[in-house]
Amino acid sequence: MSSRPRRVAVTAPPARGTVVPRPHAAAALDPDLTAAARRLRRVQLRRAVVTLTCAAVLLFGLPVLLRLAPELAQWRVGGLPFGWIAVAWLPYPLLAVLGWWHLRRAERAERSDRADRVDTAGHRP
Amino acid sequence: MTAAAVVALLLVTVLIGARGVAAMRTTSDFLVASRRTSPMLNAAAVSGEYLSAASFLGVAGLVIKEGTGALWYPVGFAAGYLLMLALVAAPMRRSGALTVPGFAEARLGSRPLRRFCAVVVVVIAVLYLVPQIVAAGQLLTLVSGVDYWVGVVVSGLAVGLTLALGGMRAATYVQAFQFALKLLLFAGPAIWLLLLAGPQLRADLAAPPEFTRFTAETPVDFRLDTDLVLTEPTTVVVDGVATALEPGPHHAGADQVWVFPAGASVPELGGGRAPVPGGAEWALPLLGTADTAPLLTTWSVLVATALGTMGLPHIIVRFHTSPDGRGARRTAAITIAMLGAFYLFPIVYGLLGTVLTPELYLSQGTDTAIVTLPGRITGGGTAAALTAMLTAGAFAAFLATSLGLLLALSGALAHDLMPSGLRRLRLTALAASAAVVPAALLMVRVDVSAAVTSAFTVAASTFCPLLVLGLWWKGLTARGAYAGMVTGLVATVGAMALDAALGLGGTAGMLLAQPALWSVPCAFVVMIAVSLGDHVPSDAEATMLRLHLADRE
Repeated sequence: MSSRPRRVAVTAPPARGTVVPRPHAAAALDPDLTAAARRLRRVQLRRAVVTLTCAAVLLFGLPVLLRLAPELAQWRVGGLPFGWIAVAWLPYPLLAVLGWWHLRRAERAERSDRADRVDTAGHRP
Repeated sequence: MTAAAVVALLLVTVLIGARGVAAMRTTSDFLVASRRTSPMLNAAAVSGEYLSAASFLGVAGLVIKEGTGALWYPVGFAAGYLLMLALVAAPMRRSGALTVPGFAEARLGSRPLRRFCAVVVVVIAVLYLVPQIVAAGQLLTLVSGVDYWVGVVVSGLAVGLTLALGGMRAATYVQAFQFALKLLLFAGPAIWLLLLAGPQLRADLAAPPEFTRFTAETPVDFRLDTDLVLTEPTTVVVDGVATALEPGPHHAGADQVWVFPAGASVPELGGGRAPVPGGAEWALPLLGTADTAPLLTTWSVLVATALGTMGLPHIIVRFHTSPDGRGARRTAAITIAMLGAFYLFPIVYGLLGTVLTPELYLSQGTDTAIVTLPGRITGGGTAAALTAMLTAGAFAAFLATSLGLLLALSGALAHDLMPSGLRRLRLTALAASAAVVPAALLMVRVDVSAAVTSAFTVAASTFCPLLVLGLWWKGLTARGAYAGMVTGLVATVGAMALDAALGLGGTAGMLLAQPALWSVPCAFVVMIAVSLGDHVPSDAEATMLRLHLADRE
């Protein structure tokens, strides 16, 4: 898999030695695309807020629960105090499920947006 | 056997790093692996890079020292990727900028802002990198008996060379490999140790006895200058000299070894900040003690760790190795699950450590508790094998995180502070690692977990508002971003310095030691307020909106 000749250095030093400078900044967005992007941003932001609110209620609420109801924290499930289980194990599957749910909704939003744009414009690459 | 395991790990790391050289051509290749990495591989690399000494050793150590509330740290570490998934990954990737300073310039069109961001990157990377190398040195000192400086120099060299030879392409494979290795070397010994544990130990794990009397003759090797309060007359062997000590306050110097006789009463720690292992405060799964507002402490740590994750420069750059925004988002989602799998196990080591090595709570040497556990449960070849596995895993944790940090550090120096091509970038990686080694030699007594948390706090108070507002709000201006980040940086660094100088107890002391709960909102408010009073360029909305358009297929 290592073919010797390919190691010739093609270093291509960038003009100012910097990163891709503002990839799209020069061209303005056409009005259709601007409207679509505004819509998409709003939808994605709303979904992010819903997801993060769920996570915040869960993660900030759990300490409150453990503080206000110490007997709940000491209640033993399979030998271990529930309080330990609630901190050590419970959050991870919940976070993973929340992440999975958010990923699906975010991708669905992008798919339906692309479908909309193909319908209306009909010439998207 | 332990030494052999560490040497083998170093060799494999350097070899995988060297493999990457053949494929490397441009600066972009060096920094972001030409953006061809699949979400699964990239998520493993992100997790591998993210799981540092603080996760592998620190959390279990903190459980001994601060109680089961320390388990909130990894919850925050994992929750950070939910924020990354929901707010940062996709639009950040679409911005096309390679680093946070690059993003700041692309989005806000200000070169001075870029330089300031690079300075913040250097602050965060150093706060994070030095304790990693310190911990590597301590670990090697403990398990192989070499001098502390040997361990520090060896780890610094290995990291610098791998990076200079292969760059990120190498680092992507190295990090993905290291994640698999770390998960195996963390989960495997945990399960093995539980299987080896006798019925008495298992019963103790579910309810660790309060650490009030030494059950056997116990040497305590003090890492720091420590104030103790004895509750009864005790004959302690101090550095080989039997000394009769009266009840009352006493002072133990750093590096002194006190041997307490069996049955002696355990002295109290001066300052009374730490809960006694196995006590009621220790068992309540919240951070802090009754006089430091446990709820606020827990929340502040959660805010710092969860929001800080998105601001860690070495993690952000990793998402650019995904081919597009969708790939970056998938990477973040898979990362949550991978980290979750790893974080199921710190409680095992934390409880084992509390039952078997509670004296580390006195010596404050809890960072290396994990590797001493096998010897307490079993003996002979099994214990040696388990210790070797855990040491290799911990070393993999240092290497992986240090690679990413060094990359971010040298990227910021070579790229943003003094623009240059590939050769300088490689030299910078070597120079940066050479500069970090003496710092690690000087800061031998730094507390690994504390230093790492301060890096998260700084990141949460500077880059988190910059990224969230820059990606989602068209009204952010360069001046606003600058003002907000200066506020965040000054507030966090100032508060933590003030805490170190004053040493206040109670809620005020907690708010200085863990400032995230107020410093992050401050940074957001200043950033928004200054931006509102500033002129927004006409193309700002278009620049921001492009980040949210779905990738072309």
